[in-house]
Amino acid sequence: MSFDPATIAAFVDGELDDLTARRIEREAESDAALAAEIARHRTLRTQLMAHFAPVVEEPVPDRLRALLVDDRVDTSLADHREAKRTRFAPIHWGAIAASLALGLTVGLQPWMPAADVTSANGTLVASGTLAKALDTQLASNQPANAAVRIGLSFRDRDGSYCRSFQAKDLAGIGCRNGDRWTLERTMGAETHGDYRQASSGALAADAAAMMAGDPLDAAAERAARDKSWK
Amino acid sequence: MRFEEELVELLPRLRRFARGLTRDPNDADDLCQAAIERALKSREQWQQGTRLDSWMYRITRNLWIDDRRAAGRRGIHAPIDDAVTQIAGDGAAEVEAGTLRGDVDGAMARLPDEQREVVMLVLVEGYAYREAADILEVPIGTVTSRLARGRETLMHLLGEAA
Repeated sequence: MSFDPATIAAFVDGELDDLTARRIEREAESDAALAAEIARHRTLRTQLMAHFAPVVEEPVPDRLRALLVDDRVDTSLADHREAKRTRFAPIHWGAIAASLALGLTVGLQPWMPAADVTSANGTLVASGTLAKALDTQLASNQPANAAVRIGLSFRDRDGSYCRSFQAKDLAGIGCRNGDRWTLERTMGAETHGDYRQASSGALAADAAAMMAGDPLDAAAERAARDKSWK
Repeated sequence: MRFEEELVELLPRLRRFARGLTRDPNDADDLCQAAIERALKSREQWQQGTRLDSWMYRITRNLWIDDRRAAGRRGIHAPIDDAVTQIAGDGAAEVEAGTLRGDVDGAMARLPDEQREVVMLVLVEGYAYREAADILEVPIGTVTSRLARGRETLMHLLGEAA
């Protein structure tokens, strides 16, 4: 392994310049020790994030809100926050934590977990391989060995594009929010056996509940992608 | 957006940060309350156009440190000087790998304060090293070395993902 621990940590934390980051990615393809080290760091990050994320979903206690909000006049803000909270509430944090505890992130390409997530302002967003797949991959035309498989693409009731996906360790639904994909649903996934079908079924049900109108057909999916899901 | 509204928007994240620092939901909300009161009192010290979140995280963290020191002087908690926390950190590393598999709270509790705050800022709150260094008012090298020790201890205690 030709990279020191500090550089590997900086790589996982997104602190390296693009050139060095690409060198590490390339080297990890043939260096199993480096790949395992990167996976170890990624797992810790995701494990911590999943552990603390539910705090953000909790209602803020009145004694704190009362210091800042005059509830007699400012109900609109409270309503707004309530709506936001409800929207993000169904994320299955437990499933993420469980899939990590079971070690499902380590597989064929451990240096590059198929489903990369990060947090932005307290919500989970897609990054890395997952973000790229959601950005570019068409369900109608995806390689058989794709690390992330795209399921349905559709518009939710706010008019945002959403796409269901299935990766090695994680399945879920990402919805376009600015230039990111916010993960509105996530659940643990496995690549073989009945489990995969079960989680696909649950995801399809979630997608149906979120959907306004019909899912995109192949032509509409391609058109939406070509317009960057705007 | 009004100062108060921005603070309200920040509260869920601030509560998470405080939870990680204090490791107790009630203590965390007490800390948030003290931080909000301090922020409202010294709002003219916040410079418009700079990041309110970094400023709030700094206030919260400094109040927490003050509280820990005061408690230490009263003999309630172990003192938090470096010599003692260093021993605590090394002690954690001697425990068998994976002992606390899945117990993130337990593993975080083993970290010395100055490692736990860096772990929270970078690995949970998602701040860049430079931003974390600004919040903690320490050099960036201090952030990276504390982070390295903290995450090694955590990975050791939580076990390998295999």
